[in-house]
Amino acid sequence: MIRSDLIRGHLDAIILRLIYEDDRYGYEISKEISLRTQDRFQIKEATLYAVFQRLERKELIESYMGDISHGSKRRYYKITKLGKAYLKETVEEWHEIKEIVNIFMEGL
Amino acid sequence: MKKIHAHVEEWFQEIEDSEQKQAMQEEITQNLEEKVQDLMRRGKTEEDAINKTIVEFGDISDIKQELGVKGTDNRAAKRKQFGLHLGFSIWGSSLIIALFVFINLYYTPGTIWFVYPTFAVAWWPLVMFYKWLGWK
Repeated sequence: MIRSDLIRGHLDAIILRLIYEDDRYGYEISKEISLRTQDRFQIKEATLYAVFQRLERKELIESYMGDISHGSKRRYYKITKLGKAYLKETVEEWHEIKEIVNIFMEGL
Repeated sequence: MKKIHAHVEEWFQEIEDSEQKQAMQEEITQNLEEKVQDLMRRGKTEEDAINKTIVEFGDISDIKQELGVKGTDNRAAKRKQFGLHLGFSIWGSSLIIALFVFINLYYTPGTIWFVYPTFAVAWWPLVMFYKWLGWK
C-alpha cells in the first residue's frame, strides 16, 4: 500500500476518470480502483463518498437512482459537461507536473 | 447486515441532520452491504466480511468536512444581509446630506457649513462598505 496522502490530491481526477468511462456507483468504483491497481491502492469508503460530495457540489458529476439491487436502489454517478472539461484540463496539468517532478526523481 | 446499518448510524451521529446526510447514509449502507455480500461470496464468513468492511471504511472526518461546507449557503445569506445594510446606509446618509445641503443653501447661503455634518454622516456607509467587503 502506498501512502495515501501523496495520492490524495489526485483522487478527484481518478474518480472522475472512472465516471467518465461509464456511469458507476460507489462500490463499483472502489472495486475498479483495487482491480486496476492490482490492490496496490485501495480507496477508503469514507474518502470516496467525501469526493462524490465534493464533485457533485462543484457540478462536475451528477447522480441518479438506478436499478434495484440487494433490496435497495443504487445511486449512480454521471459526469457532466463541466466535469469532462475539468478532467481534460487536469490530465494536461498532470502530464506537465509529471515531467517537472521527473526531472528531479529520475536517474537516482 | 443490521450491524452495518448500526455502524453507519454511529459514524454519522455527530453530523448535523440534512437531506444530503440522509441520502449519503443510505447510499453508504447500501454499498457497504453489497461489499459484505461480495466478500462472503469469495469465501469469508459473515462476521469476517463485516469486520473487514468496517475497518476499511476509514475516517468519517473526510465526509464530515464535506457535509460541513454546506455552510456556504448560510454565508451567502449573511452577505446578502450585509449588502442590504450597505444599501440602506447609502440611501440614508445621502438623504441626510441632501437635507443639510438644502438647509445650508436655502437659509445660510453665505457660509458653507454642510461639509461638517456630511463628514460625520459618511462614517455610516463607510463602515457598512468595509463590513460588506469583509464578507466577500
